[in-house]
Amino acid sequence: MKPAPGLFHRCLLLLLFLAVGISFSFVPSSQVGKADDPLIINLSLLPIKNINIVDPEALGDFNSLTIPLKRAGRLLLIEAVIDGETGNLVFDTGATGLVLNKTYFRSHATFDNGSSNGITGSTGNIGCTFAKEIRISDLYYRNIKADMVDLSHIENRRGFKVIGLLGFNMIKSFEIVIDATHNELQLHRIDRKGNRVQPEEVETVQDYTQKINPWRPVLIIKGMVGGKSLNFCLDTGAETNVISSRSPKTVLSTISITRRAGLGGAGQATNEVLFGTMNDFMLDKTPIRDMETIVTNPDALSEVYGVIIDGMLGYNFLVKGIITINLTKKQFGIRYLNQPAS
Amino acid sequence: MKSIKNNIYLALLFLLLFSVAARAQYDPKKICKVEDGNLVFQLDQHWSDSQKSEISRLFDLDSLLLIKVFEGLPIVFVDSITWNVKVIKPGLVEISKMIEPYVKKNNRVDFRMIDNSWINLPVPGIEETAVYGKNSFTLVNAFSYNDGNACFFLPGYPDARSVYISGSMNNWSTMQSPMQRTDTGWLFCSKLLPGRYSYKYIIDGKWTPDPGNKLKENDTYGSHNSIVFCYNHVFKLKGYTDAKTVVVCGSFNNWNEKELKMTRTPEGWELPVFLREGTHAYKFKVDKQWFTDPANPVIRPDGRGNENSFMAIGDTLVFRLNGFTTAKNVMLAGSFNGWNPGELAMQKDSLGWYLSYVLAKGNYEYKFIADGKWMIDPSNPYSTGGGDMENSFLTFQPNHIFELDTFPNARQVIITGSFNSWSTENYRMKKKDGKWIFPIRLNAGKHTYKFIVDGTWMLDPANELWEENEYGTHNSVLWMGP
Repeated sequence: MKPAPGLFHRCLLLLLFLAVGISFSFVPSSQVGKADDPLIINLSLLPIKNINIVDPEALGDFNSLTIPLKRAGRLLLIEAVIDGETGNLVFDTGATGLVLNKTYFRSHATFDNGSSNGITGSTGNIGCTFAKEIRISDLYYRNIKADMVDLSHIENRRGFKVIGLLGFNMIKSFEIVIDATHNELQLHRIDRKGNRVQPEEVETVQDYTQKINPWRPVLIIKGMVGGKSLNFCLDTGAETNVISSRSPKTVLSTISITRRAGLGGAGQATNEVLFGTMNDFMLDKTPIRDMETIVTNPDALSEVYGVIIDGMLGYNFLVKGIITINLTKKQFGIRYLNQPAS
Repeated sequence: MKSIKNNIYLALLFLLLFSVAARAQYDPKKICKVEDGNLVFQLDQHWSDSQKSEISRLFDLDSLLLIKVFEGLPIVFVDSITWNVKVIKPGLVEISKMIEPYVKKNNRVDFRMIDNSWINLPVPGIEETAVYGKNSFTLVNAFSYNDGNACFFLPGYPDARSVYISGSMNNWSTMQSPMQRTDTGWLFCSKLLPGRYSYKYIIDGKWTPDPGNKLKENDTYGSHNSIVFCYNHVFKLKGYTDAKTVVVCGSFNNWNEKELKMTRTPEGWELPVFLREGTHAYKFKVDKQWFTDPANPVIRPDGRGNENSFMAIGDTLVFRLNGFTTAKNVMLAGSFNGWNPGELAMQKDSLGWYLSYVLAKGNYEYKFIADGKWMIDPSNPYSTGGGDMENSFLTFQPNHIFELDTFPNARQVIITGSFNSWSTENYRMKKKDGKWIFPIRLNAGKHTYKFIVDGTWMLDPANELWEENEYGTHNSVLWMGP
């Protein structure tokens, strides 16, 4: 029996509506891509909690604020007071929101929030809580939802008191300037068009800019390695760059491997870690050489970010220049500290 | 004959060149690559033993593998790993294997953090080990230190919204120590113990070394920290007002004659300094002549026919061993003097034996030696180790006391943690007024610990801070301030 044409069209519309509706319920429309889109969100790994429908409201009497960064090894730390507990937050654009270290917030009421991706270094079920007040310099937040995980491994390896991670969503309403060399994080309030409320007296000229997708849960930058375009997560919490071991041959042939080791604790299965130098990374046509990198299995990258990416840009990239991120203008920019040779 | 000799020389030269060429192929940066998910190494049989050893260390390759791959087999199985072997030419092989599949971890693994030995991490501060020092400010009122009160002054910056001081004195806090605005600049005063401190100012969020201070250290991040010393001693020499220069030098600065120039005063010469706790030998050099300190009666021979003045910084502890009145001699030896059994002779009095000794704050182990027989201190309830290895344990000026009051009937309680390498024998606690106590001197920073109550490991029930450990259990956490 042949369905009536009107019914067929209605069914089609209904299916389309359902498909679009389901897509919107998980990811912003711009993220719904083709099946071969390299940035398809892996929903099995990315809990819904990691997509903030409403970004945390950043409060404070300032239009522009410079937050001094501290260093612990290659981690960038921001001093904070959270519900009376003073310590350091790891500045971590690889994390989406606020993450608290369980050690210092056990008295906070928690609720189960499903399984986490590995962004905090922990996997499996984690708890969530609300932080009543977070104060960072002149910036503060109220009633912010936060993941609760054990971050003692970071604390013990770097010797600083780490009360949590400051993820990207916490500051993405600002124009963000990361000056890792001078240990500064600048936050500039912007209007609806993305222009600074308090413009600079002398505008900083970017050496290179790139359009970015503001709807991703993490910040993805396109870079060229060995002539191939790859998607990298800009991750200020990564102590070194990372690239997938499944990258094309032309990509991996540009990387010198200098160390190999297993990674894992006593009695645990180990993950193979390869460490080397990325010799041929480019944004546009500007080569950035000699960046240390780890070569790892792509499954590890997926577990960390919940999205399929080719690698991440961490500390080694951050110290190459002053980085500006303006999500309203959908723009990533860099001013090189030492103009790389072209 | 000559032709044979020439041929031999040529052959030797050829061998030498060949050998150099073979060795020249050794470049650890070029032997490993990743291809299509495979890990590939190119290995050369001609590498020297030390080169093979380095490759083995850098790439976590079993030394047996580096031998077996040259046996001509297409597959080699070593250390539970199967390697495919391809001979490129005699003595040169390419071995490969799949990169291990990713093992999902339950916790505690974050590959974004890399092994400390793979990167050049900054060297920790040297506050704890500074032996002596003097300040070098270009601005007279940039710093003052009186009666334990330190004041830092930064002139100018009238338009700044905020200025903070951050340094080793406040654990590099960027929020704890705001400076107060004055008519002419910014001021911060605080109680500080004598010592060496590194610091920076934070002016509207920007890290800034003290512009009025010449003394600095590399901060290992491309800039520098300012250095200040809070003094605990003033060298004084009366008279000699006609001298051109007076210098003080001693064991603390390796008798450097050019470093510590004294300042002329109406009465003579003086130099305020910071000196680390302990005993120091010193002398004054007035123009070209050496003098012991006329104001200090403690003068000892230097073993080379001269004499030096001696002074001690720090507090004195009296070691006492009652009884043993018939002993001919009693010596003291411990971790504070490198366990030298012939150095510290105790003095006899009506109660027994005693010795006054200046010690820096800290934890020490020691023993008495009565007529050659080593013994622990019978009046000290704290000891470490057991049997012949048992030593008395002493904490001079403790900054923390571990307490456990829930097991008054336990036979033995041990405190173990990161501060004693998780020793399960040392640091036995003492029962006092129904609770177990252990006074200790802990360094600034994080410490993790547990109690062992009659063999059972447990968290500190009075401490709400604890964390997970690699064994799936928990450790108590304690932070000590600077």
